[in-house]
Amino acid sequence: MQIDAVKCIGCGQCRPYCTMDAIDFTRSAKGNKVHCTVDEKECVDCGICYRSGVCPTDALFQPLHDWPRSVRGTFSNPLAEHKETRVPGRGTEEMKTNDITGRYKEGFAGMAAEMGRPGTGARMRDVEKVFRALAQLGVEFEINNPLTGLLLNKQTGEMNPEVLNEKVLSAIIEMLIPLDKVDAVLETMEKVATEIDTVFSVDLVSKVALDDTVPTAEIMKKNGKWFSYNGKTNVGLGHLRVKGGIGQ
Amino acid sequence: MTHTLHRRGTPENLEQDYVIFSMTAKGFNERGSRGALEEFLRILAKYDVANVGDMKTGNKFIVDKEIIFQNIQDTSIVHAVFTDRDQVTQALKELKEADLGVSVIVSGIVEHVHEACREAGLDRHTVEYSVGIRGNLALLPEDEILEVTTMCGHGMVSQHLVRQMIIDIKKGRRDEREAAELLATPCVCGVFNPVRAQSLLRELAEIWCLDEV
Repeated sequence: MQIDAVKCIGCGQCRPYCTMDAIDFTRSAKGNKVHCTVDEKECVDCGICYRSGVCPTDALFQPLHDWPRSVRGTFSNPLAEHKETRVPGRGTEEMKTNDITGRYKEGFAGMAAEMGRPGTGARMRDVEKVFRALAQLGVEFEINNPLTGLLLNKQTGEMNPEVLNEKVLSAIIEMLIPLDKVDAVLETMEKVATEIDTVFSVDLVSKVALDDTVPTAEIMKKNGKWFSYNGKTNVGLGHLRVKGGIGQ
Repeated sequence: MTHTLHRRGTPENLEQDYVIFSMTAKGFNERGSRGALEEFLRILAKYDVANVGDMKTGNKFIVDKEIIFQNIQDTSIVHAVFTDRDQVTQALKELKEADLGVSVIVSGIVEHVHEACREAGLDRHTVEYSVGIRGNLALLPEDEILEVTTMCGHGMVSQHLVRQMIIDIKKGRRDEREAAELLATPCVCGVFNPVRAQSLLRELAEIWCLDEV
């Protein structure tokens, strides 16, 4: 995002909308506010300030960026639909359609590290550190996730070096693992968490067992690990013959 | 992985925060599903919902609800925010009856959702838990602010906008409801809960001291 210094009147109304606190005032020699400016190194091109419509002089504008800067907008603006997945947002359909796709089967868990969430943003170099740590466990990274597409080597977790300095609002490392690897993945995440200059939120998914228990919850309880009382439940109403749909 | 999973809060204030949403699966049942997704959202919108939205179009605080319905596409993800457990149960019963075939997901306190499923005669298929935050936690704002901002999992609601709203309420520039509804606008999907935000802001405005930058 950029601000047209000629149009900007320095009212500062756009500043609180910035998710990265990257908008500041330029000041005159006497210290007076002159106009607002965007720190482009920190801006993640999420477009919130622009879409808020608060600028009274239409001074905000989003330039079209070339690769690799273009990565920022596609990972930070949820209105940008990734062409690989056709899912807007950062991730994939994951458990939302598991009643149709059977992506997470009995005996397996889905885990994810939502890099930069909540609200801090993340440099891809930190994302790569987490990728590399998890790759050592031999986890299967989700191929439909747009972030996986930035890996040069799925076995080592090496990312395309061109993107490493890019900052995004969030990017999600998704993986499928056998249930007996949940604890090892969590321990690895905790270890690598001490080596990064950002945060990540951790997700844990599993199909409900026949006895109506949630296998991942049982594992967490058994290992004395904390997990939230809050979560997300697919209630199993999906099926292939959608009302009015075209069979596929 | 998800835009509704990591809503932070106490069991008490999360009791008024449930998101019911739907989508179809690419390559399985997506084609021609827009009508079913629209019917899904129209069913939910009959309830006393705090927000409604589709990422493709926006939420009810930035776009007329009818436009949201009309713009639904096969690839849409449509959402409605509930503040009452009983209404969640009733809505699930109605969705079961409608048998639309679209996947239905409920975010909220897992045990409450489980109970609602039992009462609606539904067998849960898959459950996802939030397992907390790792990394440089010093970068995070206060928990009270996170309770508001995490209601948009995409991070569209800036902590600074929340602080500005607290200042505005304290200075009498807007009331809690206006502030909460303004905070709902950046969250295009419509998963932000302005009713819960209103009570959180009221509390913060009473006890926090903040000044303009």
